[in-house]
Order: sequence, then C-alpha cells, then structure tokens
Amino acid sequence: MASAQGKRLASGGLIDRTRTLPFTFDGETLSGHPGDTLASALLASGKTLVGRSFKYHRPRGILTAGCEEPNALVELRNGARREPNTRATTIELYDGLDAASQNRWPSLKLDLLAANQLFSPIFGAGFYYKTFMWPASFWEKVYEPAIRRAAGLGRAAEAPDPDHYEKANAFCDVLVTGAGASGLAAALAAARSGSRVILCEEDFRLGGRLLAERDEIDGRPAMDWVKAAEAELEALPDCRIMRRISVVGVYDGGTYAALERVNDHVPVPPAHEPRQRLWRIVAKRAVLCAGAIERPVVFGDNDRPGIMLAGAVRTYLNRFGVAPGNRAVIFADNDDAFRTAVDLVGAGVEVAALIDARKGSSASAQAAAEKANARYLAGAVIKRVRGGQAVKGVEIRDQSGKIERLDCDLIAMSGGWSPTVHLTTHLNGKPKWDEGLAALVPGSLPPGMSVAGAALGQFGLASCLASGQAAGAEAARACGFTPSIQALPAASDENTAASAVWQVAGGKGKAFVDFQNDVTVSDVKLAAREGFRIPEHLKRYTTLGMATDQGKTANANGAAVLAGVTGRYVGAVGTTTFRPPFTPVAIAAFAGHHRGQDFRPARLAPSHGWAEEQGAYFVETGPWLRALYYPWEGEEPQATVNREVATVRTNVGVCDVSTLGKIDVQGKDAGVFLDRVYANTFSSLPVGRARYGLMLREDGFVLDDGTTARLKDDHYFMTTTTANAVRVMQHLEFCQQCLWPELGVQMVSVTEQWAQFAVAGPRARDVLQGVVDPAHDLSNAAFPYLAAGDVTVCGGTPARLFRLSFSGELAYEVAVPARFGETMMRAILEAGAPYGIAPYGTEALGVLRIEKGHPAGGELNGQTTAHDLGLGKLVSTKKDFIGRFMAARPALTDPARPSLVGLRPVDREDRLRAGAHLIPRGEDATAKNDQGYVTSIAFSPSLGHWLGLGLLSRGPERHGEIVRAYDPLRGDDVLVEVCPPCFIDSAGERLRV
Amino acid sequence: MRIRCPYCGERALEEFTYRGDATVTRPGSLEPQATGAWVDYVYLRDNPDGHHREHWHHSAGCHAWLVVTRDMRTHEILAVEFARKEP
Amino acid sequence: MSKRPLHALSALAGIAVPGRFGKPDGEPSVMIGELSGLGLATVASRQGQDAALKSAVLQAYGVQLPESSRVAQGSAVSFIGYGPGQWLAVSESLAHEALAGDLSQRLAGLASISDQSGGRTVLRVSGPRARDVLAKGLPVDLDPRAFPLGSAAASVIGHMGVQLWQVDDTRTYDIAVFRSLSQSFWRWLTASAAEFGYEVSGQN
Repeated sequence: MASAQGKRLASGGLIDRTRTLPFTFDGETLSGHPGDTLASALLASGKTLVGRSFKYHRPRGILTAGCEEPNALVELRNGARREPNTRATTIELYDGLDAASQNRWPSLKLDLLAANQLFSPIFGAGFYYKTFMWPASFWEKVYEPAIRRAAGLGRAAEAPDPDHYEKANAFCDVLVTGAGASGLAAALAAARSGSRVILCEEDFRLGGRLLAERDEIDGRPAMDWVKAAEAELEALPDCRIMRRISVVGVYDGGTYAALERVNDHVPVPPAHEPRQRLWRIVAKRAVLCAGAIERPVVFGDNDRPGIMLAGAVRTYLNRFGVAPGNRAVIFADNDDAFRTAVDLVGAGVEVAALIDARKGSSASAQAAAEKANARYLAGAVIKRVRGGQAVKGVEIRDQSGKIERLDCDLIAMSGGWSPTVHLTTHLNGKPKWDEGLAALVPGSLPPGMSVAGAALGQFGLASCLASGQAAGAEAARACGFTPSIQALPAASDENTAASAVWQVAGGKGKAFVDFQNDVTVSDVKLAAREGFRIPEHLKRYTTLGMATDQGKTANANGAAVLAGVTGRYVGAVGTTTFRPPFTPVAIAAFAGHHRGQDFRPARLAPSHGWAEEQGAYFVETGPWLRALYYPWEGEEPQATVNREVATVRTNVGVCDVSTLGKIDVQGKDAGVFLDRVYANTFSSLPVGRARYGLMLREDGFVLDDGTTARLKDDHYFMTTTTANAVRVMQHLEFCQQCLWPELGVQMVSVTEQWAQFAVAGPRARDVLQGVVDPAHDLSNAAFPYLAAGDVTVCGGTPARLFRLSFSGELAYEVAVPARFGETMMRAILEAGAPYGIAPYGTEALGVLRIEKGHPAGGELNGQTTAHDLGLGKLVSTKKDFIGRFMAARPALTDPARPSLVGLRPVDREDRLRAGAHLIPRGEDATAKNDQGYVTSIAFSPSLGHWLGLGLLSRGPERHGEIVRAYDPLRGDDVLVEVCPPCFIDSAGERLRV
Repeated sequence: MRIRCPYCGERALEEFTYRGDATVTRPGSLEPQATGAWVDYVYLRDNPDGHHREHWHHSAGCHAWLVVTRDMRTHEILAVEFARKEP
Repeated sequence: MSKRPLHALSALAGIAVPGRFGKPDGEPSVMIGELSGLGLATVASRQGQDAALKSAVLQAYGVQLPESSRVAQGSAVSFIGYGPGQWLAVSESLAHEALAGDLSQRLAGLASISDQSGGRTVLRVSGPRARDVLAKGLPVDLDPRAFPLGSAAASVIGHMGVQLWQVDDTRTYDIAVFRSLSQSFWRWLTASAAEFGYEVSGQN
C-alpha cells in the first residue's frame, strides 16, 4: 500500500495528478506522479533523509533539484540493472522504480560508521596519505580492505548489463545546449532562419528555470511561452529537439559528445530499444545556454537534511507541487533567493525569517519578507543548526551579535549563482572572474561556441531571452543564413545583484564546502597551511571537486574559502580545469554496440563456415578469427596439432591462408617501385614466377616479409603477413604518393577478393591435379618451385596458382574468388581424400615453420634486422631502397647482435619456453650475462621433441654450443644446444620435387 | 578533430591515421657523409610552438596522404592538401 | 576426381534470412537486401592517362568519371570515385569477373583494373528510417544538403571500412563492406535497425 504523499501541495506543479506511480525506496513502498523526479517524490512522501555521506557517514538530504546534486545519490534498480550513484534529483519517476540509499550500514537511520565523524580530527585532508604509510605489508591485507568497506559510494551490478547501448552521429548548423529561456530563444532565432538546429535538453521537459519559477513572459505565465516555442520548433522540419540528453563534452572541430537517456525513465527498455545512446554531434556553431548553478553558503552543519538551495526549494514548490518543509527560514546573500519566501507562503509554508547575510539591508528582500509575513534580519547569519537527521531549528546571530533561536524544518540557502561554464573550458578555455556577479563567467571560448543567458552571467529573464535570441541569430548568420529581426518576448529582469558572503565565520559544527567528498573549511585551511594553495593542488589533496558531481556546488566556495585563508582576492585564486564529461557517462555507453562478440569486428576467412562445421578451435590473429586446429572427437589439443603436422610431412594438408594481405601492384614502374620498397630485387623477376621479399623500415629494421609474384609484365601480386597487411598498404601508399610520385604505379588491396589455400605435403601435386583443370600441366618441369600463374579449377572457375611453401614440403597455394572459397575447401578435401589429406590450422602452420626455421611473428618483432634473421645476403647493395642506408649502420650489422639460431633441449624430454633468456652455460642468470632469448617454441612431432628459435648474440658462430634457457617467470632452467635454425630438410630438396 | 580532406570533404578524426612531420625530406645520397642527413630524416623531429605541417593518411577514406597544417597549441587546422604533387 | 563446378556462397548465407525483424508493430521502416551477382572492380588511372581514361570510359560506358567522391550511374556500369584517380566500378549486367574482364579490355593501358567482385558484400538499405540506422555508425552527414543524390563516401562504421553511395533520392543507399567483415557488419546493421523494425528481402 503506497503511503500518502503528505507533503504534496493541494494543487499546482507540472505533474499528472490523475495517475499515481508506486515506487520503493529502501524497501518501503511510496508513490508519486508522472512528472516527478525520484527526489520530488521522496520529498512529497516526507522523506528528507536519503543518504549518508562519503567519509563521515553523516545523514544527508536533498540539496538541489538538478544534475549538480552532491548528496542524494542512490542505487537505482536492482540485479543486473543496478546502477550506483545515480542522482535522485535527475531520475524521472516511473511505475515500480526501485531505489536504495547508499553508504549506510546497517540502515539509513542507524549508521554505525557515522562514528567516523567523532574521529574527524584524524580524518582530515591528506589523512590517507599520511596515515596508511607503513608497514607496507599492511597495505593490501589491512588498510585497503578496511578503507574500501568504509568508503566508496554505491555498489555496481554484479552481473553483465542486459541492456543495449548504442552510439549515433548527428550534424547540424547550430547546436543549442539547454532549453531554458535563453536556449529556447536561441533555438527559435536560429531555426526560423532555416538553419539546421539541434536543441539538447538534459531534463525530460523543456523550460529550464522557467519550470521552477513563477515568471511571466508577454504578460502570461512563462510556461505558456515555453509551450508555444516548443510547438513552433517541433513544427520546423530542420529543428530537432532532443530531451533527456546531456551535452557532456566539447571536442575539436565543432564536435560535441552528448548522452541520451533513451530508456532510463521506464522500468525496462522496450524490446529493440537501447537504454542509452551516446551521440557525437558535429555543429558548425554552438550556443551554450546551460544556465547557472546555485551555491550553498558555508556555515556550521550546513549539510543537515532539510537544508536546501533556495532555487531548489522553488523548484519543488512550483514545478512539483511539493512543500519541502512546514516552517522555513531563508539564509542568503542575494535578493533572488529571498523571493523564495513569497513562493513558500503562497504554497502554505510558514516562513519564520529571512536571514540576510549581507551587510546593510535590501529593500527587495524586505519587501519579500513583508509579503511572506516573515521577519527580515539584515546582517544576520546562521551560527548553528539544530537537529541531526533533520533540521529542527537554527541559532541566528544578528547584526548586533545577539543570538536568537528559531524553530524550523527547512532552510533555504543561497550564496548566489555561478554560471555553468564547464563546457566552455573543455578545449582549454579559461573562465574569468566577474566581480559584479562574484562568479566565474565564460572567458575564452571554444571555436564556434557562443554563450547566452545565465551561463553568461545574464541572470535576469529579459536578459536571458535577449541574449539567447541574439546568440541564436548570430550563430545562424555565421552558417550563412539570414535571420529576420524578431520582437523580443516581454519579460522583466529581477534584481540579480550579488554580494557574496561565502562563509559564516565562527560558527559551530562542521562547515561543509564539498558535500559529496565531506570536505570542510578545516580541511581547506589545513591544506593551505601545508602548502596546497592553488585549486588544482587543493583538489588532489582534499578531494574537493572530485567524484560524481565534480564539485558543481563546491568549487566556487572552495576557491573563496581558500582565498580567505590565504589572504587573497577570490578572483585571483582561479579554478580547476573542468574536463569532459560534464555529468557521468556509463562505460556501457562508450562501448555501445562493441561488447561481447562485437567487442571488435571479427574478420572471417572464406572457409570459416566450413571450419565451424568441423568443430575447429578458433584464435584471434589480428582482426581475423582463424582456425587454430581441427580436433577430432576426444582428441587433446597437442595430439591434434601433432597429427596435423605429421599429415603435412607424410601425406598432404590444406590450410586457409586467405588472411595474408594481398596487394595488386600494377603499372609501368611496378618493378622499379618494388625494388625500392623491398630490400631485394623484383624488377628482374620473370613473369610467372614468385619470390620471397623482405621489406625494411626506413630505420633499417625489418617491417614485413612475404612472397610477391609477377603475373604480367606490369602486374605484380604481393602478399604480406596477416598482422601487417594494413600497415604495409599504408607504407606503400606513403612511398608512392609522398616519396616517388613520379613512378607510374597503382596499388590496391585485393586481400578480400581471393580465398587462398595452401596445399602442402608430399602428395600436394596429386591433390592439385584433382582440382586444377587438366589443361594446366602441374609437373615439376612445367610448374616448378616458385612458379605462379592463372589457371582454372573445377571445370572453369578462374584461379591463381602459386608454388610456394611455408612448411618446407612440396606445396602450392591456390586462390579463387572469395565467394567460391568455402566450396573450394570442400573440393580440395574431396580431391585429397585418397591421399589422406587433413586440414591444418595456424598452430600446425607455426610448428611447420619453426621446424623449417622461417622467421615469423616472434622474430619479426620490429627490433630485428635482416642480418639478425640470417637474411643479410638478400639485402641488395646495388640500389637504394627503404631502409638501405640506416640498415648499414655499424651497430645494426654488428655480429654481436642477437641473431637467429635454432635451439634444441640437451635432454630431449625438456620443454622449451618462449621468452626464456639465453645465458652461457655455467654463468649466473644476471642481466650482464643475458645474451638473447627464445622467440618461438614448438613440440616437433617430426623430431619427437621440443625445439625453438631464438635470437642469440653471435648466434650463427655458436652452433653446437650448449647454453642455459632460463625462464624465471615459470621457474624453468634447461640446457639447450645452439644449432642452425632449420631442423628439417635443410637442403630444401622436398620443395623442388 | 575534423579534417577537410580535399577529396572526400570534412571527415571525423577516426578516418585518419597520423604519421608525423611532413617537412623532412628523404635524403638522396647513400654516401657515408649523408649519415647526418639520414639521422635527421629518420629520427629528429621539431615540436614547434605554433603551426606545423604533418602527414596524415585518410586511411578509412580515399587513402590519400595529406599534408595538414595544424596549430600545435590549439589543434586548429589551417590547411589540408594532397601530399602527392603531380610529377 | 572432383570436377564439379564450384558454387558461389554469399558471406551472409544463412544469416541474412528474409523476413520481418526488430520492432514488430507498424510498417517496417527499414529495408535491407543483399545485392548478389554484382560485378565489382577497382579502376586506377595509369600515370598520365587521366584524360584518355575519361574519354575511353565515356565512350565505352557512356559515363563521365566523377572527380570526387560521387557516383556516376551508367546503364551497364556505374563508377564510384573513392580516391584521387581511383574508382569502384559496379555492374549488374557484367556479373562477377566479367566486369573486370570487360574493363581490362576496353581500358587497356589506361587504367589498372583489379577484380573485387568476390571481396565485397553489397547491401542495399532503404526506407524512411534508413538514414537514422546508418547514423548509428557512419560518421558522415547524409542529409540531402550535405549528401545530395549522386554522393558517395568511403568511411568507417563501427571500425569497419565501408563504401556507400546513394542510389536514388528515396533514401536508398548501397553499402559495400569487406566480405570477411560481413557478419560483424550484419550484426551492427540489424542491431541498429531493430528499434525501427526492418525487413530483409531475398537476394536481389
């Protein structure tokens, strides 16, 4: 049974009283209405205690009515959808909403950790830095668990988020951020000119402060004007109004990030809809109408539940029809706040006193007091607040120093307003101090941005409308549109003069500067004493301005208190740099679609579907998913790999090698171009032949390798390693476009065009003869090792055939257009069945190449030279090519450099480990004795033991020597024999049969 | 950041790949006395406080290498041109 | 001996299944279909042959080669500019390799031709919300003022390279993606279209 909304006013507010929404808070069922926020619904139900503070676990209530809320943080929803640290002031109420208070144990009303505040002298600024220093062994086991239990805010969900998040792009001429009076005026002016306008409003309703005030525009309630503006904008085809969206970041080139809470206002997002959408908005011009944030006053126990910003009090009264208290006092230093008195009495709330912290009295405030039938105490301050979990009264010190006690359950406070300048500073803009407003106002702005309304320090309604309209028109004009001159809606400017008092000296109790981080005046004083005198340092030392609210209600007061204790002028103290995001953004929104199997796109080889059918085990290699091995039923992985390797060595195997990068290099200068990008020579390669090629970087180290075939006089077909395909293409394009534009050469990637299969093993020719059409002679004489050419397969399908071998066996690579890839794989297997063919995966491919001593990933690691890899003799000395000069530097050709060797365990039962250090036999395992390392290892089924490749200083001179392979990480230390890197058929006879 | 590619028009940063200094020239000489020029070309880079010319590749777009003149202090892009000069 | 002809398989075989998906109520506002059997080839102008290539293309295919990222639709072959001196040729009538063969013959010595007909999956996305779907990945403004009929773009969607061109002025876009990325792209596309309700047509 929903309890009554005891604090709901009898009428008024932008809520739908015809419908009641039940919700639960800490397990208690309460109710509100559509149009409520969780905060307004809690207040309507009389809940003023909603959370506990971060460090001292002090009882906290609702301070604000917006995104700046530091106190009323709750865990929203439950189970996998539980979201911690959501601001009750921005959560739109929905049927069945379930929220829980945070940071209390065992319950909100009885929090045992509140005892922390008794020890506050030791919990001061820098406490953690100073206290938990030693013994070091206590860090992980004692201090951290204890701190983690006591501190921190809400609990994250413990199951994967079941909802979908996505990203989207939008483009416009004019982006207007904020749909208050100035934002609406700006959007109208820009959109009426025909420019493409996006209007972003973080609330679910347009209107901004107009929703919360009893203002008039054109002699009618301001909301009438809002509704008319909204309707007009909706009707314009090039204006897009976005609600529930926060512009959170400004980036270069007119790029803005904005988070749309698409379905946070319903229990569960409807099927097929995302929960949130992260927008990237590109705008030629932007008008920032983000409004202003009201400042608390710093006085003793200013954090008690029942103390609320004056503007928020008006919001709850006027927008939500909720009385946040029964008897109020107003404590402020500006006339704007004192008009709250009129709204309060209008709603039937008794106003006990208007306490004006300013020296001298204000006629405007006095008039408000008279209207509210309340006392007006000029030059007075709240010295002390009575009540713990709720305000019970105040002790006031008047101008003469006299102390007076008043009973009240609501304190509406205001220390003036600070323009919401955050988005103006994201590109290193610097706000400037405005003495008249006692606030920071926008200074230097991001290119293309203008600011209007309260965000600019124009607090009066008429000024908001005027500056918004002017900024909107100017933005449209800058985009090439011609805005017509429009009459300004009529409104008045209330008195917005400020005379900031900042803090009450000599009060009792903790005077909070930053509510969310429990930073008090004493902390700021301590930090200043210890030398942290600028806001950035103060922030790091005290945490002032950190956490989810990033000090939206704290920074101005923090700077003022710091100025006070360091004897400086407030405007000279400066501020911290505001960075994106303006309000918190869930990681899920940044990830969007890219989670789970779509964490990143996966490239699938042409035979992937077939491989899945075979039960292949896949591995990510770069962006590709490749078959690692094809296990038989019940087969252990190592047995599978051994079998696949043995099949290639004894019969024949087939492997999908389509993932290799493939580049068509064409044009009259194609050969010359290849001579310049490869270390060896290609212009002399005959048509119909392929050659191994080694590519260096300009600094002389190896970039990549592969085979390149000459298909026609002016057409080469290059292959690259899978991992480097994109990098090599980019490199070639750089060489062509930037270094040698005079060469007539064209390049295009054809990686995707060809499905390519390696058929390797003594019976490879027999298998190929079963798929290649009979017109093509595959005999060794007609199609020898390194031959290449066009053929047709399976009765006329165009294909390319290459006689290449990575395994060291008789081998071919056959390529068909990728759409035939899967059926080609099946055709090869069918043709090979009589010869015992088996598919092999990349693991067997790796074993085969290690047995042959071919360098690959472990050796082509960006730190090796051609010389290191034993390929020095490939490097031409007859031509210039990329890397030639630098590769010839003495240090790169020094024989003492670690160079490629083969390694086999002295005890053939020993296993080798990649990464093991190579140390001379009998020497200590020290850095000084470290002479190289193991780069690749494999169990060789052909030899029956583990073997490895490694880079060893003076390696080629040391064949036969025994060295230590020392692996402290896995505790291995085995003796290995240094040998030539090729373990099988070193003469290469098998290739050429 | 957005770069106005002379071929594709203004595009988002994610389409481009940064390479670096476009003011260096690959030495033509392979003689030993060219070592200084090669070291300069391969390794030494200025980091000017102001405008700089940089190579960017429109890798997800037209694959053109571009010379982008950028203000290193503000990221303002002052000019974008094809790196390739017609021979 | 296997001499059965090889048969072609779409990279989306068994995945792009015809039917109505996503939001079930109302008319589907996005239509998705795979264009199969297209001839696709890249055409790169040979050094110093730009003018000759243009006139040869005009003569052979009746199309003016676009000088920027635009599509020139011809009766048999369309040319999409995707880089300086580079075009993607697309043809329905000259299927698969036939297009590259035809181009190689007619443009011999003027352009370097590479067959790409096996290397791309081409999807046609249309309907009133087509642009809203694409906006969830494509960082290119498709508003007619920025992307008028005949525009084309090489760009990236969700870390996947795409080539996209507008087919007509009824919000119909053809998108070519690398064959190997077809499944990843399909998941992105259908996840993005689901909120509007989409219909997958049979192969065209």
